[in-house]
Amino acid sequence: MNKVLGNKKSIAVFVLPAFVIYAVFALFPIVYNLYISLFETDLMSGMKFVGLKNYLSLLTDQTFIHAFKNNILLVIGSLIAHMPLAIFFANAIFKKIKGAAFFQSVFFLPSVICGVAVGLTWTFIYNGNYGLLNAFLRVIGLGSLEQVWLSDKNLALFCIMIVVMWQYVGYHMIIQLAAMRNIDAALYEAASIDGASAWQQFTNITFPMIKSILKIDAVLIITGSLKYYDLVAVMTGGGPNHATEVMSTYMYYQAFNILKYGYACAIGVVLMLLCICSVGISNKVFQTEDN
Amino acid sequence: MKRKASDQIWTAVKYVLMITFAVMCLYPLFWLFLASFKTNQELYTNTWGLPASWSLTNYINAIIKGNILRYFVNSVIIAISAVIITAILATMASYAITRMRWKLSKTAYNVFLLGMMIPVYALIIPLFSIFKGMGILNTYLAVIIPQIAVGLPMSIFIICGFMEGIPGDLEEAAIIDGCSIYKCFISIILPISKSSIVTVAVVQFINVWNDLLLPRIFLTDSNMMTLPVGLTNFQAMYSTDYVGEIAAVIITIIPTILVYIALHKQIMEGMVAGAVKG
Repeated sequence: MNKVLGNKKSIAVFVLPAFVIYAVFALFPIVYNLYISLFETDLMSGMKFVGLKNYLSLLTDQTFIHAFKNNILLVIGSLIAHMPLAIFFANAIFKKIKGAAFFQSVFFLPSVICGVAVGLTWTFIYNGNYGLLNAFLRVIGLGSLEQVWLSDKNLALFCIMIVVMWQYVGYHMIIQLAAMRNIDAALYEAASIDGASAWQQFTNITFPMIKSILKIDAVLIITGSLKYYDLVAVMTGGGPNHATEVMSTYMYYQAFNILKYGYACAIGVVLMLLCICSVGISNKVFQTEDN
Repeated sequence: MKRKASDQIWTAVKYVLMITFAVMCLYPLFWLFLASFKTNQELYTNTWGLPASWSLTNYINAIIKGNILRYFVNSVIIAISAVIITAILATMASYAITRMRWKLSKTAYNVFLLGMMIPVYALIIPLFSIFKGMGILNTYLAVIIPQIAVGLPMSIFIICGFMEGIPGDLEEAAIIDGCSIYKCFISIILPISKSSIVTVAVVQFINVWNDLLLPRIFLTDSNMMTLPVGLTNFQAMYSTDYVGEIAAVIITIIPTILVYIALHKQIMEGMVAGAVKG
């Protein structure tokens, strides 16, 4: 048995193709990225070693700091906007309201649609001239609130957050719903025999039982918010005047618009560290809770 | 049992919120669909109503002027190749990791999983430089290869999770009967694991089909662009032909919606499985 299942040659045949592609095109580039981030380069006319200068410049680059702040706002905004709504919808569907299957499929639908198409759809909705939102405000008599939504530098980021919510609440709902469906139904039977109200059942059974998934979900929201690209790139392109710039769009701008590849690589490193940190911190939190 | 008034109010609130959000999810898409038949003029004057005529002019414009058909074909080629290769490689690697006996199997698994944490932004510039050196910028390969590399960790995670649960007896009996490892893989494990492989394929398809960043960087020649890049291109070139752009958006999302209607169960399962790596 071990001769067949432990045969080195056949193991290599099975694992190596995947591993080579993964190592060459995913692991090696991480190291290479660190390396390029220490240089000033346009990738054509040679590279000039500058040490940590790119990282130090990031600290004083107002646009980067602004982009970083926008990412943090997105993280906070998404946590506030997604979590409660997703729990609410998941619980309603879990408790089998009429049309549960329909609601589940409809709420999840936006998260499978291409981000560019979603972004464009909402640029049409927000459009100042023919947009759906302004037309809707006129219908309900709030015409005075009409705006050219995405051109207002104070409103644009908020408008993007709404779209992020529209697209992803259903996704987080499905994750939480899956956790709820793993809860032993006997718990609820016992609780309702004891006369526990729906609210008591939620706070005493459902919520504690899905707590660990909620933490995973929070990590997903955080890393997701750090990585947003499509919607911002399509809806505002980081504008007006860098107001809605996030780290990913700023990195793209530095690399492919003004060819400062070394600097862009440094932004890439920062993004990677932030993602790893948020996963790492949450793992620490899980472990201490489990013990 | 008599229900309390507060319970009834609560139920009503619940339905109102659910229905409002459902309308919010569907109506924009429906509005967009109607708008795709309108003229630019109508878009301004007739926000809510049906189009004056169901003419296909916008779609024809999107296809001829906007080159949408070309982008569509590019998207299909890239998505299908990336999905098939990822599924095959991930299934093979998962088989060796979960079913075969070697010291480093656990290590290999963990190294693959590491990839789920790495944002693609840490890879794009090195890949750009590597692909430039290889001379494959503006070829399908430049997007297919990184999509495979980035898709493997989650695919291996999902398939391994499934394969671990298959009991060993079947395989052992087959091997005692003189079955080779390859035959074992193809005729025993593969058919049993079909559902997890389909899940991986569907999730990978959606990810690759929707992705903007990689094709935007690696495919700058307008004949090679995928639909998402093509859409941004259309937006930049014909910024006043709103209805043409709307038709192009509809063309982009229709395949996704069809796939979703046919396979929504697998899609939801897969996206949850890939997310909850706990």
